[in-house]
Amino acid sequence: MKTWKSSLALVAGILLVGTAAYAQLPDPKPHDFPIAGNRVAVWVVAQLHILFAAFILGAPIFVVVSEFLGWKNKDERYDRLAKEVIKVTVILYSMTALTGGLFIFMLLATYPQLSGWLITHFFDLFAIWYPLLFIAETIILYLYWYTWDDLKGPLKLRHIALGVLLNVIGTVTLFVIDAPTSFMNTPVKSAEGLDLRTFIETTATLWDKINNFSWWPLNIHRLIGNVTFGGFIAGLIAAYMYMMAKSDEDRAFYDWFGFVGNMVGVGALLLLPFAGYLLAYELCDYDASICPYMMADQLSMFFEMQGAMVGLIFLASNYYIWLSLKRVDGLEQVRMRTTTLVLMASIPLVFMLIWTKYPIPDPNAFILPACWITLFLVAGKFLKWTVPAQTLVKVAFLMVIIGNAIWMTPHAFVATQALAPDDGSLSLPHGELNLGFIVLDWGMLALMPAKNAAAFTLVFVTICNYILYNRALRRGRIQWGKIDFVSQFVLVFLAFSAIWTMGLMGTVRSLTRKYFHVFNLQYDFTAEAFTPTLAFSSWVITGVTLTFYLVVSFAIVLTLRSGKDKKGHPETPATVPSVAGAE
Amino acid sequence: MAPQKSFVGTVVKYLFLGGLTAAVLLLLTRFVFHFPPVFQGMFVLYVGLGTVVFILLNAPTVSPFGGVKALVALVVFYALLAGTFVAGANFLPQFDPMVEKGKIDKIVKPKLAATDKGKMDELLKRSEDLNAQSQAILKRIEVLGGADKLKGAEGDKGGSGAPKAAAGDLVALGIEQYDLQECYNCHKVGGKGSVKKRGPILDNIGGLMKPEDIRAKLMNPRSWMAEGFDKEYEKKVMPDKYKELMTDQEMDALVAYLSSLKDASVQTPQPIKK
Repeated sequence: MKTWKSSLALVAGILLVGTAAYAQLPDPKPHDFPIAGNRVAVWVVAQLHILFAAFILGAPIFVVVSEFLGWKNKDERYDRLAKEVIKVTVILYSMTALTGGLFIFMLLATYPQLSGWLITHFFDLFAIWYPLLFIAETIILYLYWYTWDDLKGPLKLRHIALGVLLNVIGTVTLFVIDAPTSFMNTPVKSAEGLDLRTFIETTATLWDKINNFSWWPLNIHRLIGNVTFGGFIAGLIAAYMYMMAKSDEDRAFYDWFGFVGNMVGVGALLLLPFAGYLLAYELCDYDASICPYMMADQLSMFFEMQGAMVGLIFLASNYYIWLSLKRVDGLEQVRMRTTTLVLMASIPLVFMLIWTKYPIPDPNAFILPACWITLFLVAGKFLKWTVPAQTLVKVAFLMVIIGNAIWMTPHAFVATQALAPDDGSLSLPHGELNLGFIVLDWGMLALMPAKNAAAFTLVFVTICNYILYNRALRRGRIQWGKIDFVSQFVLVFLAFSAIWTMGLMGTVRSLTRKYFHVFNLQYDFTAEAFTPTLAFSSWVITGVTLTFYLVVSFAIVLTLRSGKDKKGHPETPATVPSVAGAE
Repeated sequence: MAPQKSFVGTVVKYLFLGGLTAAVLLLLTRFVFHFPPVFQGMFVLYVGLGTVVFILLNAPTVSPFGGVKALVALVVFYALLAGTFVAGANFLPQFDPMVEKGKIDKIVKPKLAATDKGKMDELLKRSEDLNAQSQAILKRIEVLGGADKLKGAEGDKGGSGAPKAAAGDLVALGIEQYDLQECYNCHKVGGKGSVKKRGPILDNIGGLMKPEDIRAKLMNPRSWMAEGFDKEYEKKVMPDKYKELMTDQEMDALVAYLSSLKDASVQTPQPIKK
């Protein structure tokens, strides 16, 4: 443990002194990273660092909520879950610090002018606030971990308060480091009509630069993303431990552990598309040329890939619910209203029509969908027709596939849509159908209203499935530890896909700066200032994801396996499989 | 064995249903809706995905296994995931970076030349070139004597035609600027460009606006709007960065090109002064 502390102190020292000192060097020359090149080298290290950072910021949120639930419900399982996740977090914290230090070194060595420029503009942030917050977080994290067994019983609330403090500091650290990141995408413009360069170089204050267009959207997006990440990684830990479990007690615990991790991951995931839209909306609002670059031009196929990944993640999370439902006794008695089923099936088409006719933020774009849902809820009170739970879930799967097909439908299957071939061989066909109140044409499928309707469908369907699942848990009987073994691979899949998608979207956000280091302000004069292909990017993202997985898997196995006695029993008291309805 | 047999039956059932749905969808998209083959393929792939999902929903429960078997299963699963994601990304159409590299060079190189470092590099290069040229001229003077004077006089004759050629060049440079600034992403000229009607068609913009008005619009996009594109939320759509990112010469060229667009046969939205 001492080694970790020393390395943390070293990294903090580098951050504090190194960055400030390097900024003073006269015109440092960039180094060339062998084979991969400077951009790929920085890309790999930055993304690795962000993945570790996302985990160490996301996991404590999950942990402290879990600890609180354990204390409130007097349920030992939550406490054990929280302790096992924080144990892995402590190990990975040192990796975050090391990759962070490496990232700084890499930036300074390969892009010295840009690094110097950024340090000059965010000096207080890099030299004072970030190191202080980092040190504070380190101290609180270790304090939180080492006092786990001391602050028990009546002192438990103090420990939870420490956890809350850890999360507050972690969140502020995230917001602080998001400032230069978002600034590079959307440097603040002058309200007084000064040109961008003059304003940034002369008048703009540090706060102006921090509080730029995409700062809050990025903060929100990353915060929700980190919770999703924390939940899915908890699911991954559970899956590994379930596979290694030697007793029914352990299997029961890790089955339940995976269920909780997945529920938190999926719960936060439901908010993620909307936070993503908010970020994209602000980027487009800042400079409308970013929008076609992302959605219709060089990066359009990155969004096709994102659509595929989101569809697979939603399919997998619903499949996990399905596998969980399979072991609920008495599921056949659980029924849902037919109106819910009809509502679910109607959403993609009806919402697409509403949002095409009344684009967001038109008030009708909110009122009409709300009326449509209310209509079915009210109708459900009077019409008593019901369908079996399995039927509803199967229709839900069908709607996820249809919703995802809409999400994935582009104007044209070309990388640059404005320059698609004239013969229509790769584009959606024309042809309109006038319904009186609206004119239908296939092109609607490729527009944002259709994508919004598709995203809403995925979210709505997943919520319905969870409601159904909870109803089944209340009415039926569930034996923890008896879940289909395939479910553990679903948890692994969810974590892997979520991380891969994070890598993909992080790449997209970075690439929206086009041939600028700082959008519209600092040109990238290197030979690498171009949009890489999706194919090449996928290799880099996969490499980073696998490396991260390798380290995390090693940390999980090393930490949690070593915490058991020779017979495989955990340090903390074992939990007894329980009947869900009795909780 | 019994559940396995029934699962085989389920697989056959869903494969049949999936195949039937794919065939119907293929016929509809091909002969009724006239979708291009790539979209037909996409919808068939989705039917395939649906079939796999419904087979998985009915798959028999797998009992837990651990040890080396679980480790191997995990490694294979990760390899499969990584391979599938990379294959999926490679399967989609790829943007050719070479197209962009040429464009970026044209935009970025003049900016680099304008920096202190760029100026110094340029001066060094020019001094080296000049040195080489002066050496060559000295040698030619020694050998040819007055021949250079003659060439100089011929060069002067061509001078009267220069302004005309320059005007043509300006439009050509303007076309290049239109391409470099990617105006086609929002506007259509000659039927090419924006598939989403983000901005107005520009085929007759030169017939509807004077060059100084076009310049004013480019410098301050909110000074002019176009009929049908003048809603409140559309006012900020055109970026206001061009006055900062383009040089005067580049702006002149773009204005010259846009002013040359006078095809009255194409309906171009009427400009509105704000």
